[in-house]
Amino acid sequence: MDARADVVLAILLVGVVSYSCRAGGFFLMRYVRLTPRIEAWLNAIPIAIVGAVLGPIAANGGPPEWAGLATAAATMHLTRSDFATILAAVAAVALVRQML
Amino acid sequence: MNNGLGRDLRDGALSAAVLLPSIALYSAGFGIVAGTAGLSLVEATLFSGWVYAGAAQMASLQGWAYPVPVLFVCLTTLAMNARYLLMGATLRPLLAPYPASASYFALFFLGDLNWAMALRRRDPSFNPLAFLLGSGLAMWLVWVAATMAGHGFGQILDRPERFGVDFMLAAFFMAMAVTFWKRGRQPAPLLVAVLVAILAEKTLDGPWYILLGALAGSVAGVFRRGRAR
Repeated sequence: MDARADVVLAILLVGVVSYSCRAGGFFLMRYVRLTPRIEAWLNAIPIAIVGAVLGPIAANGGPPEWAGLATAAATMHLTRSDFATILAAVAAVALVRQML
Repeated sequence: MNNGLGRDLRDGALSAAVLLPSIALYSAGFGIVAGTAGLSLVEATLFSGWVYAGAAQMASLQGWAYPVPVLFVCLTTLAMNARYLLMGATLRPLLAPYPASASYFALFFLGDLNWAMALRRRDPSFNPLAFLLGSGLAMWLVWVAATMAGHGFGQILDRPERFGVDFMLAAFFMAMAVTFWKRGRQPAPLLVAVLVAILAEKTLDGPWYILLGALAGSVAGVFRRGRAR
């Protein structure tokens, strides 16, 4: 079994959509003048994206996920290391899942 | 200049190295699911190499069928990847000094992880283009290779959630949250984004909640600033 034409076509289209998102925001900002207002908006995007991803994870999660999020926040605050943070958080999630 | 370029390419790849195990695991997961959904090795590899977006790939497979529901998978990908529109927008000031063609090439390798790492840098001699490319290439290679491995050896990993591996991406996002919070302390965008995303996730189908929450939160940042100054 290798590649079917309709599957390949679908994958190619999905890739075009995917790249359009990656390049689209960058492209559009070419026509937007960097006023203080726009700059404030750009500056608020990172924390807003992170919040939008994490909010539902916390809301839909249970004790393992809450323990993982708390451990991640504490570890990052103390060590400033992504690696330590991911390790500690994953360990916390696995541990609480074992206990439940 | 050349020194800085090589340094930041290498720096990007090395910074990404920390995350490669989780990327590999996630991508292997996609390979496994793709195999179960009936995709051949060639198709699954093309999927990962050409689309290169974990969440969108996983979500597309949720509704995969034969014949392929093209509109569904494209809309799902759009919803999942719409956050890259915003991430790309934040990169415009950073990449402004570099040739457009190089920037558009590097943007192919834009992901949550190297975007966040590039934005965190504050070194004035830092070359974000080289960093994005270096980290992106390393991540892309591992991403594609791991999909192939996952497709091939799918049965070995039994119930990976026991080990908490499904939580890796959330942990990384929390690490980003701490960094971004320490830098700016922007309670309004954070709170609005969290609340709108939770609400949208409960009421709407599909992954639009990320875009809606992020848009609402970032706009809240504009109003707050307007009042403060």
